[in-house]
Amino acid sequence: MTDHTISPAEQSSRSGRLDILLGLTLLGVLLVMWLALSIETTTFWTSNNFANLLRQGAMIAVLAIGETFVIITGGIDLSVGAITGFLSMMVAWLLTHDLGFASSIAGAISITLALGVLIGLFHAFGVVQMGLPPFIMTLASMYSLRGIGLLITNGATISITNDDFTGFSRANFLGFPWTDGTWFEVPMLFWMVVVIAVPCYLLLAQSRWGRYLYAIGSNKEAARLSGVNVKAITYMAYIVSAFCAAFVGILLAMRIGIGLATQGDGWELQAIASSVIGGTSLFGAVGTIHGPLIGSFILTTINNGANLLNLNPFWQRIITGLLIIVVVYFDTLRTRKR
Amino acid sequence: MLETVEGAAGAKTDRPPLLILKKLDKSFGATHALKAVDLTFEEGEIHAIVGENGAGKSTLIKVLTGVHPRTSGEVLWRGEAVGLATPHEAIGLGINAVHQEVVMCPHLTVAANIFLGDEITRAGMLNQKAMVREGQALLDELGFPLPAGAVLSSLTIGQQQLIATARAERRGAKFLIFDEPTAYLTRQETAALFKLIRRLKADGVTIVYISHRLEEVFELCDRVSVLRDGALVGTRKVAETNEADLIALMINRTIDQIYHKDVVPIGATIFETDKLSGPGFHDVSVTVREGEIVGLYGLIGAGRSEFVQSVFGRRPATGGRIVWRGKEVKIRNERRAMDLGIALLPESRRDQGLCLHLGVDLNINLPIFKALSVGPLINLAREAKAADRQIRDVQIKTAARNAPVTSLSGGNQQKVVIGKWLNHGAKLFIFDEPTVGVDVGTKAEIYRLLGSLLKQGIGVIMISSYLPEVYELADTLHVFRAGAIVASHGHKDASHETILTEAIGV
Repeated sequence: MTDHTISPAEQSSRSGRLDILLGLTLLGVLLVMWLALSIETTTFWTSNNFANLLRQGAMIAVLAIGETFVIITGGIDLSVGAITGFLSMMVAWLLTHDLGFASSIAGAISITLALGVLIGLFHAFGVVQMGLPPFIMTLASMYSLRGIGLLITNGATISITNDDFTGFSRANFLGFPWTDGTWFEVPMLFWMVVVIAVPCYLLLAQSRWGRYLYAIGSNKEAARLSGVNVKAITYMAYIVSAFCAAFVGILLAMRIGIGLATQGDGWELQAIASSVIGGTSLFGAVGTIHGPLIGSFILTTINNGANLLNLNPFWQRIITGLLIIVVVYFDTLRTRKR
Repeated sequence: MLETVEGAAGAKTDRPPLLILKKLDKSFGATHALKAVDLTFEEGEIHAIVGENGAGKSTLIKVLTGVHPRTSGEVLWRGEAVGLATPHEAIGLGINAVHQEVVMCPHLTVAANIFLGDEITRAGMLNQKAMVREGQALLDELGFPLPAGAVLSSLTIGQQQLIATARAERRGAKFLIFDEPTAYLTRQETAALFKLIRRLKADGVTIVYISHRLEEVFELCDRVSVLRDGALVGTRKVAETNEADLIALMINRTIDQIYHKDVVPIGATIFETDKLSGPGFHDVSVTVREGEIVGLYGLIGAGRSEFVQSVFGRRPATGGRIVWRGKEVKIRNERRAMDLGIALLPESRRDQGLCLHLGVDLNINLPIFKALSVGPLINLAREAKAADRQIRDVQIKTAARNAPVTSLSGGNQQKVVIGKWLNHGAKLFIFDEPTVGVDVGTKAEIYRLLGSLLKQGIGVIMISSYLPEVYELADTLHVFRAGAIVASHGHKDASHETILTEAIGV
């Protein structure tokens, strides 16, 4: 062994350490916000509000995880909010009709998830086969899905009467005593984040398809020449994103008990913002699962805190916007240094 | 070493020189691209600059046009010291360049390009009509039968080059640099360009003419300066020199110690082509054996790269046979080539070879992740082991296994590509210009690496425009010209002069 090479035992990595550092910084930001809000308000640091925070953040978190897969390939998915709204309507529609299995809870959920996969396939088809820019393809899809949703319901709201279905969003699983002596129960909706995040982590960080996603995002041609099936992997990314959005559509329908095609308005931007705040690079090839998770809860905390502080709700949008500019600016700095 | 030639042919001798370079130096990091260049450009002369690839011609242009500010030295413009720190300053003085690859806006009209940055306006609005009219008048005057109203991209590259020249003329260029202007031009276009250059000269414009084609230098130019390894080795009046003389100046006779040619026993034939023809080349027969370096030398566009592209399945061959380890094969796409065991290391590693922002380990393992996986998941221990093995074997100097490739030096990046293909089991490595843009130290490293590949029984095809490199390293050297092999040599059994002459075809 010469000094030219590294020993296999010596395994620390600069980039790995940077990732961890970024993750810790984000976590620090989140904790500082929590601390500040706990001092500033009496209502923030309560088991009730925290359960509420987790419920609020859960949906954006799942959307952001899915969105991250597409962004890592260098693309963007603007349709996730529309998919959420459209499929929340679809699941409600299925549940309120009498279609046998398709109207059972299991049937409606399976069909809705399958529709999500189909929408993802459609996006990937446009991007891969037709060569459309991802921005345009998913923007067009966003418009069309909202239109289809409104067409089916004629713009009306579908009320879901199935309590087993809607009850799930209020259910909790496991709990622990809160600092003020009350019992904190972890909302089922948050467990759903875990249900999505774990397989997504395995896919992105531990499987070869995850490695291929990064390779495509970094250099499509190099990936292709190295034997990566670029098309198939691109399909995978859009399907994961749309599937996550379908999943959120179901959660949303459970939570608000209605199906309305216009729901989830602007969620795509919140998902993208969460992902980017969590360290995903819009230039592709950089991103993790924990990043968008923390990012989405940072955004949710801003919203939640602003409410508790009685801030004009319009400020929330302004703060989110400024935060995105700051974070993306750091991303461009990182890119320029390359 | 450098003789000053007073009063170039055709230049006015009573005037002071237009531009004087004194001890001009330019370094990029550790690379010393221009070494104390002293040059004088007279007013109204056509001054050719020749030299091998990497001799410093492009750097000289970039310093003169303000693209890269010089590291040290003095530039005198009409006797006054100038900074040349920005392109804007250079253009302001009257220094313009017409590049080999046209730098204009392809979607705008010819007229809009000619007037770009200096538009004719009326009451603050663009006056399109006036620009087309004046642009057309300019083109007519220059004798270019081109429409000023046409969209630029509808013209050929050669025509676009003429437009670029017209633009420079309009800007009132006093000093005009042509970088390989005829590389893409047809015979007629070349004639039109030469006519224009002579006209510009008659108007007192100083022309710097950079070309590989020595015959053009003799046809067009007054004086010629030769660069070699970033240094000026001589300036001659064209009337007082000849091609052999220039070639002798261009070639570095003292071969550095950087070429390590290991003696490796040559084994069985790996790869063979028999009268292979395809887009841009024809009837090419080449054999590569284990432990052998086959060099393909020729000027850009001579067909060697086109041949290799076909071998790698990019643009499949249309005639002839390819034999891979004794079996005739068809290579219709890159996958097929790679699965056979052919690895192409492209000139632009940045574009095709590497995922630059990702880790060394990911790049090395990219072709073999399937083999490293158990079910859907990667065996992380095996992944690390495979990467470490190549990092050790190919001696990649990296801070960590998963450090991003961008953090590596050029030579080490090259090694990552090699490690990647060794991992994939490649038997034939095709190097396309392996040492372009790397410094001498890295070059030596890459040559050593070539040697270690040979010891593993791998065959190498090496394309290079840098003659000393292929000359020293190749066991067999094929010279390409106009799409075919015009001569073949064994290891160092012909002189540089012979080979260069064969490639240029004089």
